[in-house]
Amino acid sequence: MKLIKTLAFAAMLNALPTHGMAQSFPEGPITWVVNWPAGGGQDTTSRLVAERLSGVLGVPIVVENYDGAGGLTGMRELAGADADGYTIGMLGSSSVIQQYTTDEPVMMDQLEVLSFFGPDPGALTVGADTPYKTLDEYIAAVKEAPGDVPNGNDPPGGASYISAAIMESALGLELNKVPYGGYAPTVTALLGGEVESATVPVPQVLEHAAAGDVRILGVMAGSRHFLAPEIPTFADQGYEVFAGDFRAVVAPAGLPEDVAKILSDALVEVLSSEEFVAAANAAGYMIEPLGAEAASARISAFDEQVYPVLQEAGLVTNPK
Amino acid sequence: MIHDLFTTILADLFNPYSLFLALTGVVLGLVFGALPGVSSTMALAVMLPFTYGMETPAAMTLMLAVFFSSVYAGSVSAILLNIPGTPGAMITLLDGHSMARKGKAAEAMAYALIASIFGGIIGWVILVLLAPVIANYALKFGSAEYAAVVFFGLALVAYASSGDTLRGLAAGAIGLIVGLVGRDKITDVPRFTFGTADLQGGIDIIPLAIGLFGIAEVLSLLTRSDDDASQVPESPARTWPKWTALRQEFPTALRGSVIGTFVGAIPAAGSAIAVALAYACEKRLSKKPETFGTGIPRGIVAPEAANNACVGGALIPMMTLGIPGDSITAVLIGVLLLHGLRPGPGLFENQPDLIITIYGALFVAILLTALVAGAIGIPVYRKILAIPQRLLTAGVLILCLLGAFSVRNAAIDVWVAIFFGAVGFSFIRLNIPVLPLAFGAVLGPLLEENLRRTLLIHRDISVFFDRPISCVLIMVSLAILVLPALFSLISKLRTVRQKTSSGV
Repeated sequence: MKLIKTLAFAAMLNALPTHGMAQSFPEGPITWVVNWPAGGGQDTTSRLVAERLSGVLGVPIVVENYDGAGGLTGMRELAGADADGYTIGMLGSSSVIQQYTTDEPVMMDQLEVLSFFGPDPGALTVGADTPYKTLDEYIAAVKEAPGDVPNGNDPPGGASYISAAIMESALGLELNKVPYGGYAPTVTALLGGEVESATVPVPQVLEHAAAGDVRILGVMAGSRHFLAPEIPTFADQGYEVFAGDFRAVVAPAGLPEDVAKILSDALVEVLSSEEFVAAANAAGYMIEPLGAEAASARISAFDEQVYPVLQEAGLVTNPK
Repeated sequence: MIHDLFTTILADLFNPYSLFLALTGVVLGLVFGALPGVSSTMALAVMLPFTYGMETPAAMTLMLAVFFSSVYAGSVSAILLNIPGTPGAMITLLDGHSMARKGKAAEAMAYALIASIFGGIIGWVILVLLAPVIANYALKFGSAEYAAVVFFGLALVAYASSGDTLRGLAAGAIGLIVGLVGRDKITDVPRFTFGTADLQGGIDIIPLAIGLFGIAEVLSLLTRSDDDASQVPESPARTWPKWTALRQEFPTALRGSVIGTFVGAIPAAGSAIAVALAYACEKRLSKKPETFGTGIPRGIVAPEAANNACVGGALIPMMTLGIPGDSITAVLIGVLLLHGLRPGPGLFENQPDLIITIYGALFVAILLTALVAGAIGIPVYRKILAIPQRLLTAGVLILCLLGAFSVRNAAIDVWVAIFFGAVGFSFIRLNIPVLPLAFGAVLGPLLEENLRRTLLIHRDISVFFDRPISCVLIMVSLAILVLPALFSLISKLRTVRQKTSSGV
């Protein structure tokens, strides 16, 4: 009995990282902040990672949902937490946008990027009962009646609203952007025929496209979506539209360097594992494991792309 | 083939492991749901991490058990403590707590349980038999219909709430204003936030209800000098209502169940509307509407049947379309996603075994809730009343504040609960009903959002009268609001005329 205990203790010691002062990190449970309610995309992706990250780091990871204010409540909680590595969370594109569109926002410099999760490209989807069979037909129809075609999307500042705005700005269109509180009601409205099109990401409409209830006219990404390789991108059809959501894992700014490195390395390890990618893909999520630096670069690139669109749409209340 | 499928699924559901999970889920749901401030959504979110390592059928069995039993248990704190455990139990407290005050707490809980089980089964039967048909109708519910049904719900609450109509309307109007706080759903601009970031998320209904009902109740108990008089009397041991009494409630339970299932099936409509509809419907049909609110079984049976029938209804859009109808089914969809299943219209064809497992698991959950709540739940809950009033009051206050905090992990929600506790207390003192305020705060934002969205799409208010469903709903609502006043005016005129004619 004593022998077993000793052996187990020795094994535990070996398992601990032995470099630098951070050999004690993590010592206890880590809180993972999700800034949307349980069951949504931000929550599901977080739980997929948290479950496996817990295995790599050897401590429990507790997912906590902070709902409210379009995700701002959770980001505020995250940015305000102690920068010790014991509070991390998932960041979506809307948090980057909110820097410029909200009162008292959480700025990106209050957060430290640990890793990229993956893109969630937008798509243009129309109802099966609409006359639009191709992207060309849709664009022609919108140009003919500016401001008339109802498009389902988030309220201003949300990811699918920005996807619609990016499309409008790139193609010189004017839609009737109708806001819904999230992807599920948007898709419901599309299925019910209340809106003619929607700009939500591919996984939200894929099953409905397979059932023939909607048509996905184009994906707003540089390459086709892995779940729907038969659907062309906007670029394939001659239109330069790149838009959509993305996710990254972040911590409060000012994390000790070695703690940040441990977390970032562990995240990349999880995100690169075949088992994780298979599970995430099955749930519909695209994975792109990038470390801290590459992830920050991606977020800055999005920031630079989206700011002029926000200005054009008159959404900027908190200029750069 | 189908026979084989059924035998495998029966074996899946009725093996010791599944039954153990279902039982665990039911017990946890009975605890979570009865705690003030712990909604079904939160109960499911708490259980979510435990499903990571389970097979999909096992995970769904556990979650559905928590779902159903917590929806029932919301009535327990409504009846015993006058605090709705879940928003769906807000109506139940009217007659439920009045009945408890008469010393019939156990009987009230028994009525609530029987109605809940009945509603659950009717909702389940409709789900199994008619899901695809109803789902197609539910899709026809656009923003215009939705706005109309919320308007209808508000009219019914105004009608159903007892007492002075003018005071009820005033309370409802305050509720509507409370619902305006936070970010505008259409333009995303913060409103009535007084410059603080904390109010940007709006006033959540759960801290509001905790304050209005729970903390207000605690405050009014504290101000009573006579400690014993304010205590809800302990209930006698005989808990089950007589069969003859139950039989009289059958039509009520059936109507409530059908209303609950259909309203539950409309994405995002929710149990708050269903219970208001069911209660008002019974009050309208009753020969003695004035007895509602005084502690009659019918006032418990109607909302509880509707509330639990909503469970089956809410699963309809999820199973047939892969769309979460509310925040609870959103968590269930999260479970499916975490297990690598993308729910959608293809689920029926591609995963028939999963569909049947979910149906079976919900049925097992309903049966186990009946057994566990009936055999252990009610006798244990009854013991709460044996706790001395001063200890109970302190305990309830702590639970209320914890519950308010835990909804969104936000300190502001504790202040919201305390603030509305003061509001609720002064309302009781001023003899203003609080229920219209709560419903105004729930339904107001839904009405505003859908009304504005309808106008954004159709650009003309006439759309509400062009579309048959919304036209009928608005006409009926106007009739409910205007006709009673009209009738009383006519009868007054008649008496005046009779007096004058007899005087001549």
